[in-house]
Amino acid sequence: MLFVMDATISGPHFAIPLHLAPFKQLLCFSGEQNFIRFPTVRIRELKDDYIKFELRDTDTSIANALRRIMIAEVPTLAIDLVEMESNSSVLNDEFIAHRLGLIPLKSERAMEMRLSRDCDACDGDGSCEYCSIEFNLNVKCNSDQTLDVTSHDLVSSDPSVVPVDNSFAQDISGFDAPEARGVLIVKLRRGQELKLRAIARKGIGKDHAKWSPAATVAFQFEPEIHINEALMETLTLEEKKEWVDSCPTKVFEVDPQTQQVVVVDAEAYTYDEEILKKADAMGKPGLVEIISREDSFIFTVESTGAIQASQMFINAIDILKTKLDAVRLSFDTEEADDQFGELGHHMRGGGIDLVSRVIQ
Amino acid sequence: MASTKEYGSETDDETASTFSLTEEDHTLGNALRYILNKDPRVAFVGYSIPHPSEERVNLRLQTTGPLARDVLKDALQDMMALNDHVRVKFEKAVEDYKAVEGMREMSVGVSGSGRLFLVIIV
Ligand SMILES: [Zn+2]
Repeated sequence: MLFVMDATISGPHFAIPLHLAPFKQLLCFSGEQNFIRFPTVRIRELKDDYIKFELRDTDTSIANALRRIMIAEVPTLAIDLVEMESNSSVLNDEFIAHRLGLIPLKSERAMEMRLSRDCDACDGDGSCEYCSIEFNLNVKCNSDQTLDVTSHDLVSSDPSVVPVDNSFAQDISGFDAPEARGVLIVKLRRGQELKLRAIARKGIGKDHAKWSPAATVAFQFEPEIHINEALMETLTLEEKKEWVDSCPTKVFEVDPQTQQVVVVDAEAYTYDEEILKKADAMGKPGLVEIISREDSFIFTVESTGAIQASQMFINAIDILKTKLDAVRLSFDTEEADDQFGELGHHMRGGGIDLVSRVIQ
Repeated sequence: MASTKEYGSETDDETASTFSLTEEDHTLGNALRYILNKDPRVAFVGYSIPHPSEERVNLRLQTTGPLARDVLKDALQDMMALNDHVRVKFEKAVEDYKAVEGMREMSVGVSGSGRLFLVIIV
């Protein structure tokens, strides 16, 4: 059996094979040959709320599964229940409740928390440590100046779950940075007040976009650009410039010294094919060949701030694993059903809704 | 929680089955299709979502001999191994990136103080 995980895991990491051992065992499942490719990862840029990385040697379906999970199935916390005590602002209760829901909350705890509908420790009224976090807001305007009610006015019952704070923006752009003032909920004039209790719950983007940790998750294929140098030399300098300028993004450049067309930024190419059409129109088809490498992906992940961008990807992997486990386990329980018949089904109390095998 | 239901074919031949996965979509359907397609024991695999408002994926699997359900189980295991691998790789890549960035910041700090030192001597 082929077992080349990675040549780099040797030397100082020699003690590591611990976490490689399961692969050796698992790979045996699918026949004698190892036909699954094992991807490589390289980080290009890493910030708290942004990551750009390369995922190589895998298939679109795998990359796309991870992308879809990051957008729609990585859980976060968001306000889901609002009890209005007093609202004399210009916005109605539902409007404010909706705006509260869209405020991103720090959600490091979300992965280990329970979904409110699956929680058996409470009746969903919000006073439950496993599935709910309570927020209070109490603001009244007592001056002639308009008062902004922002996410900073939300008082959390859990110091680890607070509205995403972008006040670092202050350091860069001074006290006027709008982000530094928190997320605006409503504005109050003299005498108006807003008093409410809000419950944040765990959820996923598939149920409501407010629970999505993703601002953007995208991947692109890496373009491979080959210029036909011989054909390119048949162009005059003017023609070269005209051709280079026909690309909507800055992919090519005419080198001022050598007067040759060079690729300056292959990844800026958006597969718009304008450059190919231009070459055809100039009577020079085949001037450039552009191939998209469909086994290499450049991922861009932007977080709302609810979860660190790098953690979003790790959580996505864990969720994909849970999904696979669920399918596998439903098989096993199904087999137990075949063995013990209806009794086994009743004994489980119908935890998983399974139907025994049907032959059509 | 997803559940799986297996439908055999008309000939009662268990090398060909349609698996009906509930509460799943293209995320899992397409990825499983890819993994199964790579398996040399698979003669045919395809998936469909019969209706967009029903959370269900039907996965059709025909093998060259082994039981379809065994091949699917192996595919699940393979994908889990793939997952574990990507996780390890990603965490290591993040660690390496942070280490390199940390070094760079440190070297900037050193050269900064070095410059300061030079100024004092002058
Ligand atoms: Zn609860």
